[in-house]
Amino acid sequence: MVRLMGAVLVAAGCAWVGFQVSEGMRRRVAELRELARGLALVERELELWAPPLPQLMERAAAHSRGAAQRLFRACYQGLDRLDREDFPTLWRRLVEEERSWRGEERELLAPLGELLGRYDGPAQRDGVAAVRARLEELADRAQADCRRQGRVYRALGLSGGAFLVILLL
Amino acid sequence: MEGKSPAEAYQQAVLALPVRLRREALSLPREEQGRAEELRLRVGWPLAAVFPEGERPLGGPPVGGEELEQLLEIASRASVHAVLDQVRQGYLTLEGGHRIGLCGTAVCRAGEVQTLRGLSSANLRVARQIPGAAAPVLDGLCPGGRLTDTLILSPPGLGKTTLLRDLIRRVAQGEGCEPLRVGLADERGEVAALHGGRPQLDVGRRTDVVEGCPKAQGLMLLLRAMNPQVLAVDEITAPEDVRALALAAGCGVTLLATAHAGGREDLARRPLYRPLLEEGLFRRMVQIRRVAGKREYTVEELS
Repeated sequence: MVRLMGAVLVAAGCAWVGFQVSEGMRRRVAELRELARGLALVERELELWAPPLPQLMERAAAHSRGAAQRLFRACYQGLDRLDREDFPTLWRRLVEEERSWRGEERELLAPLGELLGRYDGPAQRDGVAAVRARLEELADRAQADCRRQGRVYRALGLSGGAFLVILLL
Repeated sequence: MEGKSPAEAYQQAVLALPVRLRREALSLPREEQGRAEELRLRVGWPLAAVFPEGERPLGGPPVGGEELEQLLEIASRASVHAVLDQVRQGYLTLEGGHRIGLCGTAVCRAGEVQTLRGLSSANLRVARQIPGAAAPVLDGLCPGGRLTDTLILSPPGLGKTTLLRDLIRRVAQGEGCEPLRVGLADERGEVAALHGGRPQLDVGRRTDVVEGCPKAQGLMLLLRAMNPQVLAVDEITAPEDVRALALAAGCGVTLLATAHAGGREDLARRPLYRPLLEEGLFRRMVQIRRVAGKREYTVEELS
């Protein structure tokens, strides 16, 4: 009985790992899409009336979710402490600190801190648009990976678990 | 701005300074904070405070170029793009109506200043409203209790803008005269100092402000859009301003304006201002003079 329970637990554990990896890939796609959507909003605001950064960040935070929302909200709050940390440093730090992003998206996002608020509206909008386009490419690629490899990871989890159960029994 | 003591206004203004300079500025005794009119930041020289009796260095290390950049970053809340029009004109309005004047290398394109780079000096002017500045002249300007077309004259630095602001406030509030809707064309933001859409200096509840656009265009915009009973403008400086005022006068709006001039004769001598007299746009003239260290106001009838 104990062996059977152990085998079931091992099988379930392996399947869970496989599903978690697959879920992580799906979440990354969602985060990338959300970030691209947040930047699209920033882009539109810059196009329309180029508001000051506090308003821009507040609005972007209000209309996004997840990591993108955390970034915009933390930026908005950090703009009250510019005497201690300038905006490029604040932005770079927040991008580095966000755990749900990988090196690729961090590298894309970090330079925006040098651009936002410093140049005229059209220059900022063009810079944001370029980053957004790259993020969408990244999201498309991640989605293709997720579709292809997600199934593989789930199957690996299930079959690995089954293999271990056979070995143990 | 309303209700702030002079020292509190100073403390609000220095919030725009980088930490080190702010600490130095706040090291002044409270009484001196209340008297300080400006803070001067020049690269390579210590921070200095300007008092009515003159300028005095605060004795700290010299101001660095990066500190002026930081000043601009803090003052604009990292949004230089949103205040570029002001920066091009060499100033920046802060919350509370305080103002930073900027100097540096101008970047020009097609003969127009695009921005300033390599900032070399800045001055932080503490905004202090003087409620009651218009009290000595109000009766003379409101025959029958209603403001009449008024031109305020004085050489620079004698308080034309302060008087204009208090007159606008009183008329818009109906303090000592009939309350009227005032349209204010505040090209450089020196009268109302809009910040986030809100006047930082009290111009009364019935005042509509257009800021940042040339005075003549601002006057026309107010006339078309806001149906003002009084049109106010600080410093008539161009023939277009005179033409816009003449047009407004033709629409039955009361005019309130200031001009740099020593007196009526000076006004009549200068081609820009002569039409103001010839066309009879103003009925009263207030002249500000400094007599024995004190401001003296004279109200004169023009027509």
